[in-house]
This record gives sequence, structure tokens and C-alpha cells, in this order.
Amino acid sequence: MKRVAITGLGLITPIGAGRKVFWERLLAGASGIATVASFDSSAFPVHLGAEVKEFDPKQFVRLGKTEEMGRGSQLAIAAARMSIEDSGIELSSYDSGRVGVSMGTTSGEPRLVERYNDVRKADGLEAIPGDFLPQYPCNVIPSHIAVEFGLHGPCMMIPTACAAGNYAIGYGYDLIRTGRADLMLAGGADAFSRITYQGFSRLGAIAPERCQPFDKNRKGMVPGEGAAVLILEPLEDARARGAKIYAEVLGYGVSCDSHHMTAAHPKGDGAIRAMAMALEGSRKTITDVDYISAHGTGTPTNDRVESIAVRTLFGDRAGEVPMSSIKSMLGHTMGAASAIEAVACSLALDTGVIPPTVNYETPDPECDLDYVPNHARTTNPRVVLNNAYAFGGNNASLCLARYEA
Amino acid sequence: MSSRVVVTGTGVISSIGAGADDFERGLNAGTTGVGPSQMFGAGTTTAEVRDFAPQNWLGPKGLRVLDRSARLICVSSHMALCEAGLSQADAEEGDPDLGLICGTMFGGLHSITSFDWSGLTEGPNLVNPMEFPNTVINSPAGHAAIKHKLRGVNSTICAGLASGLYAIHYAAEFLRFGRAKALLAGGVEELCEESFLGFRKMGAASASDSIRPFAADRDGSVLGDGSALWMLETEDAARARGLTPVLEVGGFGSAHDAHSTSAFDVRAEGATSAIRQALAASEIEPEQIACIISAASGNRAGDLMEARALRNVFGDLLGEIPVSAPKAAFGEGLGVSGAFCALAGGLALVRQSAPPTAGFKESEFRLRLSAEAQPFQGKHVLINAFGCDGNNAALILNLRT
Repeated sequence: MKRVAITGLGLITPIGAGRKVFWERLLAGASGIATVASFDSSAFPVHLGAEVKEFDPKQFVRLGKTEEMGRGSQLAIAAARMSIEDSGIELSSYDSGRVGVSMGTTSGEPRLVERYNDVRKADGLEAIPGDFLPQYPCNVIPSHIAVEFGLHGPCMMIPTACAAGNYAIGYGYDLIRTGRADLMLAGGADAFSRITYQGFSRLGAIAPERCQPFDKNRKGMVPGEGAAVLILEPLEDARARGAKIYAEVLGYGVSCDSHHMTAAHPKGDGAIRAMAMALEGSRKTITDVDYISAHGTGTPTNDRVESIAVRTLFGDRAGEVPMSSIKSMLGHTMGAASAIEAVACSLALDTGVIPPTVNYETPDPECDLDYVPNHARTTNPRVVLNNAYAFGGNNASLCLARYEA
Repeated sequence: MSSRVVVTGTGVISSIGAGADDFERGLNAGTTGVGPSQMFGAGTTTAEVRDFAPQNWLGPKGLRVLDRSARLICVSSHMALCEAGLSQADAEEGDPDLGLICGTMFGGLHSITSFDWSGLTEGPNLVNPMEFPNTVINSPAGHAAIKHKLRGVNSTICAGLASGLYAIHYAAEFLRFGRAKALLAGGVEELCEESFLGFRKMGAASASDSIRPFAADRDGSVLGDGSALWMLETEDAARARGLTPVLEVGGFGSAHDAHSTSAFDVRAEGATSAIRQALAASEIEPEQIACIISAASGNRAGDLMEARALRNVFGDLLGEIPVSAPKAAFGEGLGVSGAFCALAGGLALVRQSAPPTAGFKESEFRLRLSAEAQPFQGKHVLINAFGCDGNNAALILNLRT
């Protein structure tokens, strides 16, 4: 099996686009959360959203036509282009049949469904345009990346909801380490949608004023959007071309709660098994872990259960391992979230600094870990876990490590 | 660690039959599931699962919250778990090493559209929050995990019409890596008013309401639905349980055309590459393929592309290798069609007989298609799954002796 390096980071998020801007703003505790702008939220009891602002898809989509693809695909192509540029690779020097795409999402292109219903309401079903069905299915997101960049290798979407980014990066890692691909573009993308917003609103899950993961007074999550794509390649290839290596992928673990479609298992059963499987596959133990990027949505239940899961698995060490949630700044970017968080983990390993959980004020006795409150911290982590949990009881933990030449 | 992955159970529900026996009987009788729709009114034609009664397998409880896609996969997974002897029904907690890999394109397309429509017409504060979980694409797999206590990996795979084959390969890899002991793998797709209308609007529906794969006068496809799953295990694990598996999941190949996300690439380079990769991964030569299960569904460009890919790989051998295009029987199942075709390939290999292509009369291409079953002798069958989003996959099944 080959070792797998992360050599390119591209992302577009509610706090900005591109590795440098993202990391500066993240460490400064910037917030991407504001009043929803992409639709009228006045009928809702809540109004916060974490949207990508001032996005001009034409800046990134050069071959395809932006009007022939949904926003999820546009965001994904933007992240892919930035990632390729960040890695310094020349795609033309690769056998394109060995360059693939592995993406994750929660809803794919939900705005195509919105348009379907808008047209149906205004003009009736017969007015539904012919591009609805070809543009809607979520496999078009990686397919658009493949077309845009001329990639002929494996191409798939793993729509495992809010844990999807980790699943997709994990699959990309599998293809590289087994030698089935020479280069993988792996990550996640999701577009802001009134459907998602309506769903979380009706579940009473959206925070009314701010996102405060792990705080005693936390009142919910904030739906968001974005995309991240990581370049994965064999470590030996990265070394040979003198590439910047942000981090190494050591392994990942996945599990299913088999308990409830939306609520986490009360004891964190699946979350524990996913973390344990990630560590086992990475040949690491709990004593090696220096940082955890939490799923940390800000809902009362998620944060309590995640804390219980970490405490159960790490035992006495739990309080010593810093664990922060960047969703406090970015909101919950759905299927993109764990891919964006994997970028943050890579940068933490590369720079030695871990991002904070902002808006943290009042400790919760049920969440008794070190959440890196409000300020970034230099800890020089060597091994990190990236947690992601999702509807359907899906859990995925990714284990990354600092690369030491 | 055994690297061989074998089939130890089958679950299927389709327009031509529910359960492996009925499905096989329907296929081999040359019957077609293409016919009058019960869902979309008089004069409409589909290859939908008709008279679907999930309570026959699942009992009456807990069905209300499941949409059609979830019901379909809950039924197929029930069948495959029972056949494999791995049902968790009597277990207090499910086995953490038992999981599900589900190929699909839409998940519950009708659920997400209805949820949005309710908000649009009644206001966002009156929609039923219980319907929200059904809007995510992995909801069928999530429901099946809860219903059948599947606590291992639960992945949903979307690779267009190649989803089912990608899911089977993904599951086989997870088993080889030792990340699970047994995995259900295949696909599900529901027919709904949105996909039915959308398919017609995109110009993919057959004007004559029939599927005539490879025919000179083919004019499009008819949508089908259903679910098909295999239970996969490593051969060592299966033998340790006292089983003697006969079907092995062999080599897999995949390639993207990188040409369009909505039109088949008739240059057929991706499809050709996928088949060649599958042969190479199986370490076999084209002449060892005894039967081909085609992805052809009557699409003018899609069938042409596949015919060219087959010609590229097999050349004159095509005069001898029986080809079956079973979508003429179970319709174009989109995300489940690769899994349906995989099951058809498995049945063909065990029977040593390529199933009839329902209603076959003539082909524009020199392929050995027939309206009758075509006996063969051999150990390897090729299954194709190609889609207009540019994704192409091919899988080889091996007969264990």
C-alpha cells in the first residue's frame, strides 16, 4: 500500500475563498454567518445563514457553461480549480485516465428541485424544462469537474449527507494507496437551499442569534454552503516532484448508528466506532491524537453526544486533547463541511496552529472537554482526527498526520 | 486475508418479479415489465414495480415514514439478509461489521420535491418535519440500516447509471480491506412523477413506449424502478460459515468520458477503457468472456456507444459471445440498473445461459442478441453500465468451481 499525501487545498466558504484567505480569517475567528440573502426568509422564525458571498462562477468555470449547471457544481469547480493551482501540478503531465474525482454532498443540486417547483407553481408541470433531470442528480457534480479539467479516471459522488466529505476523501485515499489512481480530486460541495433551511427550521435546529458549539447556552446550528477539494497523490510522487505536502492521510473509519434518521445515538455508539476504526486503520492509538476537529454543529444534542463519544473513547485523556468546531464561524456547510474541516486539519498540521471555537462563553457540565475557546492556539499537532456525523446515522472520522521529511 | 469476494445472498424487487427466483423466471421467460403504469394514469407506460406490497416482507409496522425508495430497499435487503442467513431480526444489537452500500441517483426525489412543494404552497412553518430526513440522498440506505440493524459502513454511491456497479465494487474493496465482514451492495431507484416527467422532457423516453436495445428503429427508453442487492463476503468468511459460494465479484473498471454531463460520448473511449480495465483487473483475455450483459436501453447514442466499445474490445469475437440486453425486461432503472444487470449476469453465469432480450427482433449492430435464451460454457461474464453523465463502469463476475 502506498502512503498518501495531501498536496493541494482549494475551497470556497462563507468566510472566503482560497487557502490563504480562509486560514487567516479562520484563525482570526471571522464569521461567515449573516441574515439569509439568497431567498426571503421573512416567513421563517429564524433568519441566519452561512452563504458564500460575491461568488462569480465564471471566474472558475472556463470550459463548461455556468448556466448549464447548478450552484453545487459551480462551487465544486471553483474549489477544484483553486486546489489544482495550489498544488502546482500540471494536469497535462498525467495520464488523464488515472486522475479521478471523489466528491461528497448532502443535497447535490437542490436548487434544481426549487426551480422545478417554482415553474410548476407559476406555469404548470408541462413547463418543466428539459434540463431538470440531467442537471439534478448529484453525480453531475464530480462529472462537471471531470469535464472541466479533462479527467478520465474514476468519478463518483458519495452522498452520505453531512459526513460525505470524509467518505469522499476516504475513497480517494483508498484509490491512491491501492495504486488505482495517480491523482485524486476529493472533497465535498453543497449549495445553500430553501429546502435544507426549511427542514432544519422545522426541526427547531437553527440558532436564532449565533452559533455556539459546546457552550451551555447553545441553541442550534446555522445552515451553510461551500465546497472544498483536496489533491491526493502518492507520497513518493509528491516528494519526487518537490511538492508542498500539507499533511498525510493515515486512514479513516466509518460506521452507522442504526438508531434514528436524524438523532445521534445517545451514547455515541457509532461515533466511537468510527473514531476507533480510523485510529486502528492508521495504526495509531488515542495517545497519539493531538487535535480533534469536531463535527460540533451547535445543536444541544449533537455537541453533548460528540463530547460523550470522545470522553468514552479517550477516557482520562479526553480533556487533554483540544477539540474545536469551526462551524462556529462557517456554519454547517452540509456535505462540504467535513471536506472544509479536512482542509483546516491539513493547515493545522502544516502551520502548527489549531483554529478556535468562537462564541464560547459558558461551560456546559455535559460538554467538559477543551474546545479551544475563542482564540486560535499554537500546539504543533502531529496527528489529528476529523469527525463528521450525518442523517441516516452515518459517521466518518478521518485521521491525518503531519508530514515530516 | 482472502481477496476473493463472493455472493452469499440476493434480494431483488423489480417489474419482472420480486425475489431472486421470480426475477430469474421473468428474465428467462423473455417477459417484459414494460407495460401500463399504475402510478401515472391511463395510457402511460413504465417498468415500475406493480402492486407493491412491502408489508408482505416487512410487516405493517413502521412503513408510514418510508418513501417508495426506502420501502424498495428495505424489502430487497430483507430478502438478501435472510437468504444469506445474516438477518439481525432476533439480535438485540445488530452486528457492527454488517453494512450496506447503496447505489442510487436520486434517493427520494419525490420526497424532496414534495417537501419543497409543501413549503411553497402552505408556507415553511407548516411542513411536516418528519418528512425532512427523506429528502437527503442517503435516506433509503439510512432507513434500511435502522430497519435491519445494520451498524457497519453505510455508504450511498452516485455515479449515474453506473451507480450499482460502483457500489458493488466499493463494497468488495471494503471487504478486501477488512473494514467489514459482510456487506449488502447494489442499488435502488424509485419511479416518481418528477423522474417520469423529467425523463420525457429531456427527450429520453421512447415515443413508442417500448425498449428495443440496439434496434435500428430504437427510439428511447422506458423508466423502471426497484431495488437489487447482493450480500457480499470474503470467500474465507463464507466458507467459515459453511457456505459454498459459486459467484465471485471479479475485476472492475471505470472511466469518465470528460465530454459532457448530459450526452453519451459516441466515440466510446471511456466505455472501451472501462471494459479493458475490468479485463485487466481480472487478469483474463477478451476470449474468456462467455456472456455480455449490456447496458443498452434503446437510447440512440447510448446503444451506439456501447456497440462501438464492444467492437473495440472484442472485435470478431463478438460473433460468438452471446449478448443480453435485459433492460428490455426491467426497464431503465437509472441508479439501480447496474445492480439489476449484475444480478442478471450472476444468474446467467450460474445457469450457463444468457437470458433472452425481451421482444428482440433485429439489431443494427452485429451482436449475438436473441429473443431466446442462449446457452454458453464459460466462467466469466461481463456486465456494462454506461451513462450519459459520462460515467462508464464494467464489472466481471467469475464462476467458482
